[in-house]
Amino acid sequence: MSIAWKEIKKNKMRFFILGSIIFLVSLLTFIISGLANGLSQDNAALIKDLPSGQFYINNDAEDNYNLSRIDHSVQEQVLNEHKNAAALSIQMGFLNDESDKQRSVAFVASTDSKLFESVAPGEIVLDRSLEKDGVKVGDTLTLKPFNEPLVVKDFVDQKKFSHAPVAFLKMEDYKQMYRTEEMQLLFIPGAYETLNFKELQSFSNKEFLNTIPSYSAEQMSLNMIVWFLIVISGMLFGIFFYMMNVQKIGLYGILKAIGVKTGDLFKMMWTQMLCITIISLTLSVGFSQLFKEIAPKDMPYHLTNETTLQLSIVFLVIGFIGATLSGLQIKKVEPLQAIQQGEV
Amino acid sequence: MEIFKIAELRKTFKNGDVKEEVLKGVNLTLKEGEITALVGPSGSGKSTLLTIAAGLQPASDGNILFNGHNLTSMTSEEMRSIRAKKFGFVFQFAHLVPFLTVREQLSLMLDVSEVRMKNEKREQEIDYILDCVGLSHRKHAYPSSLSGGEKQRVAIARAVIHKPKVLFADEPTASLDTKKSKEIMSLIQDLTKTLNITTLMVTHDEDMLSFVDHVVKMSDGLVV
Ligand SMILES: Nc1ncnc2c1ncn2[C@@H]1O[C@H](COP(=O)(O)OP(=O)(O)OP(=O)(O)O)[C@@H](O)[C@H]1O
Ligand SMILES: [Mg+2]
Repeated sequence: MSIAWKEIKKNKMRFFILGSIIFLVSLLTFIISGLANGLSQDNAALIKDLPSGQFYINNDAEDNYNLSRIDHSVQEQVLNEHKNAAALSIQMGFLNDESDKQRSVAFVASTDSKLFESVAPGEIVLDRSLEKDGVKVGDTLTLKPFNEPLVVKDFVDQKKFSHAPVAFLKMEDYKQMYRTEEMQLLFIPGAYETLNFKELQSFSNKEFLNTIPSYSAEQMSLNMIVWFLIVISGMLFGIFFYMMNVQKIGLYGILKAIGVKTGDLFKMMWTQMLCITIISLTLSVGFSQLFKEIAPKDMPYHLTNETTLQLSIVFLVIGFIGATLSGLQIKKVEPLQAIQQGEV
Repeated sequence: MEIFKIAELRKTFKNGDVKEEVLKGVNLTLKEGEITALVGPSGSGKSTLLTIAAGLQPASDGNILFNGHNLTSMTSEEMRSIRAKKFGFVFQFAHLVPFLTVREQLSLMLDVSEVRMKNEKREQEIDYILDCVGLSHRKHAYPSSLSGGEKQRVAIARAVIHKPKVLFADEPTASLDTKKSKEIMSLIQDLTKTLNITTLMVTHDEDMLSFVDHVVKMSDGLVV
């Protein structure tokens, strides 16, 4: 028999209130981190969906891939040594359709690689969002400002960079249009150590994402909200159990007097914390999945099971810490206190 | 047989720089199965003596021998275990657990004292003791729905259900009227005789002394 559960049953209202606060706070946390993740997907799916590895740019580029020019000989050497590696360039630009409607895109060109789309000269492969925008396979679009005609070959899912849909170009087309011989970046999937090239600077996928101007600002503010909510829910647990424990000092005293172990009183509190948290989390996980279904289609909402699980564990740990800290007073309760205080 | 022996027990309370000696060398012996009443003026140290004897607060000096064990040299965990298994407590107020029914209060006490028995036997014990205190019909009631006298009877049932060796009672009838008080006293008397429990109780009420075997008078921190 569990007296922890009996107390919950007898004081339903109290625990219901705590449970619904935890439910609301965790639901909000799930939704906001779904949005944060969705936005980051919308911002930079091109990079996010790459396998983890290392990006390299020129040292002189000062963290800005746009200013980077990879030396030919270095590129050759790296591509020879690493089969899966690719050299690539990213340029923000515009595509105009026949009616001269302008769309901002991110042009991406790369050496042959499984990681990036390969296209034939004079053709482009576009992110699917442009298809919804009315562009069709076979359309001829004009690359501004060079007035180069390009034929739409195909659409691919989830390729975004800096909130713009990606347009994959043939590398030779890119070099010719932008009048350059060098690529901006090297990417080596699966590499973790820094290559020993004096002139290259390395970035992990995450570090590279943070060099996209809007990316870190967006993610930082949303992640800050998420962590604030988590801390708040920890404090809620702490405060709630603290107030309940203060009310129960007399009871704890009498239980200690008749010989209940202090450890058992802690177990009682932990059981209650677990019950409430698990029920609330289950509900808010359910609702956050439901939100996926009912959220407007163009709302960037992307909540992975992994994130949900991670956040749930964080909530449990935080609740445990909050309850335990506030429960330290149980240790100090003297059995006599209750008896001298009179009626419980 | 002497089951409980208090020798030269002293207790000093410190209030800042002021030291107050509340017990000044108390000697007291309890005989198995008998009820001993502590009487004396307010502030003479009765409650202090009772709570130290029951292991609820430490002594400053002296010895307490229970069944050959010296309680004053025990660790707090050993003391807790003795309280759980060998002692029972009744106080002026019932101090019941507000969210447990009468049956659950008694069941909890059996858990705490680590009495191992089959569920069936356990229910029998609970029914038996509830019958003794005349509360069989209130088995599933919560404390908030019980009268003062009923609560006190549940407290007594809880204090003896695990068949302790010693029962400590500090003014168990102080919150009740004379008629109820006498009922409670005669209940304590009956139960302790049937279960062979040794009892140390504090009382202010002369009327209750007819139920006890010995009366020990205290005055100013000493037995007189
Ligand atoms: N925790 C404490 N700190 C300081 N002094 C205390 C403490 N407990 C008791 N005393 C003092 O010890 C003395 C005896 O107290 P005790 O409660 O034992 O008296 P009592 O005989 O039970 O009185 P009553 O009949 O009024 O219950 C009193 O003067 C009291 O003020
Ligand atoms: Mg007293």
